[in-house]
Amino acid sequence: MKIKIFLIIFFINFNLNLGSIEPIDESKIHKNLRCLVCQGQSIADSNSEFALTLKMVVKDLIKNGKSEDEIYDFLSEKYGDWILYNPKLNVGNLLLWSLPYLALVLGGAIIVSLVRKQSKKT
Amino acid sequence: MLSNTGNFLLLLSISFTSFIIYQSFICLKETNDVIFKSIYKISLLQSTTILICFFTLIGAFIVSDFSLINVYQNSHTLKPIFYKISGTWGNHEGSLLLWVIILTIFSFLFLITNKNHPKNYRVNTLIIQNILILGFLFFILFNSNPFSSISPIPKEGLGLNPILQDPALAIHPPLLYVGFVGSSIYFSAAMASVITNYSGKSFAQSIKSWVIISWSFQTLGILVGSIWAYYELGWGGFWFWDPVENASLLPWFAMTALLHSLLVLEKRNILYFWSIILCLLTFTLSVTGTFLVRSGILNSVHTFANDPSRGIYILSFLSLMIFASVYILFAKYKPTHDQINSNSKETFILINNWFMMFYLITVLLGTLYPIFTDAISNNKISVGPPFYNSVIIPVVVVFLFFMAVGPKVKWIKNGFLNFKDLLKIIGGAIAVNFVITYFFKSYSLISNLIIISSVFLIISTFLDTFKKSKINFARIISHFSFGFLIFFIGLNHNFSIEKDFNLKLGETIKIDNYNFKLKDLKLQQYDNYKAVIGKIQISDLSTNEKRTLNPEIRIYNNPQTLTYEASIKTNFFRDYYLTMSNIDRSDYYNIKFQKKPLMIWIWISVVMLSFGGFLSFIRNAKNN
Repeated sequence: MKIKIFLIIFFINFNLNLGSIEPIDESKIHKNLRCLVCQGQSIADSNSEFALTLKMVVKDLIKNGKSEDEIYDFLSEKYGDWILYNPKLNVGNLLLWSLPYLALVLGGAIIVSLVRKQSKKT
Repeated sequence: MLSNTGNFLLLLSISFTSFIIYQSFICLKETNDVIFKSIYKISLLQSTTILICFFTLIGAFIVSDFSLINVYQNSHTLKPIFYKISGTWGNHEGSLLLWVIILTIFSFLFLITNKNHPKNYRVNTLIIQNILILGFLFFILFNSNPFSSISPIPKEGLGLNPILQDPALAIHPPLLYVGFVGSSIYFSAAMASVITNYSGKSFAQSIKSWVIISWSFQTLGILVGSIWAYYELGWGGFWFWDPVENASLLPWFAMTALLHSLLVLEKRNILYFWSIILCLLTFTLSVTGTFLVRSGILNSVHTFANDPSRGIYILSFLSLMIFASVYILFAKYKPTHDQINSNSKETFILINNWFMMFYLITVLLGTLYPIFTDAISNNKISVGPPFYNSVIIPVVVVFLFFMAVGPKVKWIKNGFLNFKDLLKIIGGAIAVNFVITYFFKSYSLISNLIIISSVFLIISTFLDTFKKSKINFARIISHFSFGFLIFFIGLNHNFSIEKDFNLKLGETIKIDNYNFKLKDLKLQQYDNYKAVIGKIQISDLSTNEKRTLNPEIRIYNNPQTLTYEASIKTNFFRDYYLTMSNIDRSDYYNIKFQKKPLMIWIWISVVMLSFGGFLSFIRNAKNN
């Protein structure tokens, strides 16, 4: 019974924020773009002329109905991938995105094999 | 004058170090189990000489002896005395001297505190540690000598980068160095242990205190660094997954894993080779971190001083270290048949190590990957916060559950785990999360999971204090505060408010529930900088509270630099964080305002986390 109540609460928890479609968050986009003339800052953190211009470009792109991903594509084509803090999932970055999970699976497998070996013996 | 003294002391240290190595080899040949008295004496002399050498450099900074290039480049007569002193280790050459101090002092302390361990193991540790010391001393003398002189002697110095003139940054390097340079001693001990076949339980006992103390300092060091980044760099965040921040985190992951695997080694005499690998890995990562920071190979906010020739030296040193340790491991490795039950404490500690390695690999990969893509395909990419957040955070959820359950399980046996109780705690955690989302604000699925899992860890660790059996408070405090750390980071992330707008003098702007007014701007002259101080009034329209914040734009004279000082109002519930910056060719000022709930609790959680470490150190010292 208790479990059922918990499950219900659990799902209500998540349903609260499902249906709504979020509008494009401009400041989130700013945080994902590197300020190319600064040292390790995003354009959200910088007031350099470059950052200010880029913020205006982003605003225009949103106005033209571009989606978040389209904005990133547009800017990386223009300035190179260096500008994106979130590296794209493409062939060149395949290892970057997959190795952590491979390591996770491998580590898990090692532990399982260590423990299994033991339980067979006993 | 001080240049000669310094160089003489450096040469003296090199001779002492070489003599220790020489004497140690002779000592190894003797069949009795006593270490020569002379080795103790020279070790003491060696530490003292290095300390005097360092104080000589501090002295040169205090009296502004510009005949030293190092002082000329990093100091200025008008700098406050406190920053003259902290400037000593705020630069590459001076900080290396601090490296060597910690290497030698740890070497000496390890020698005199481990008297109940066999001679061969101790002497071998001493030899390896002193080879490391020698390597760094040569590096200092030939490549990064803080005592190099300049002629003609300049009248005035160039000054210290103003964003480094800060109390937090004055204590940040020493704390961090005790942490990751301290790991050198268990690097040496691990090598010695493999060479002399001194394995198992007693080896674990001999290095445990050292691992705990370096871990505690490393934790504090990282904390002070991120507090500094929070109020000084002006973006309002405290962790940017910047390469240099990552460099301090990598050894921390390895240390944390080691800290736990040593428990298994001490209790059950298994996982010996794994623990050795972790010992070697921790110090290797520390040197790697230094390499990354000092070589300037990575683009980072923190890379203040860099020079390729240093990089090449550290890289060769690093390769040599890795090669030697891998060789020794392979030469001496013996497969062991460790006995582990699935539902035992050992398994859960292995799971801790498993996750630590996952974090480590992810952060290492993210930090180094851009270098590889640049070298291989000439394509420069950035790996920033979105990558780390999306890869690491979901895994943290699972990790926290294991972290809560692990300590409840018994050693060796397939101990009985009470799943009913766990389910109740999960229920409680979900209820807490429900209350937060219902009354305050709903957030994403992953945030829900983070809050639930961290509350689960908090509750279940808290309940451990009511156990009848003996309680390990150090562990409870550390696990408890780690739960709180993640919990507060989660809340802080989801409930932060951020506004970015432009204002000119006298203007008022209304955004959501707040009115912002730029009431006043005044120019003020200080010793080493002048500042434009803004007076910004924030009125909360829902509660009618009024607050005034005073952000600054500072113009430092030596060297000429523009910095933006955030104005922060902290209390136990929230931080108000505001920065102001000028916009070129306009009389408008750009204002960034943030309301960050429960910010101070993030810092408190980390202080508690490292306090758990110190407590465990005391406990361990008492038991031995």
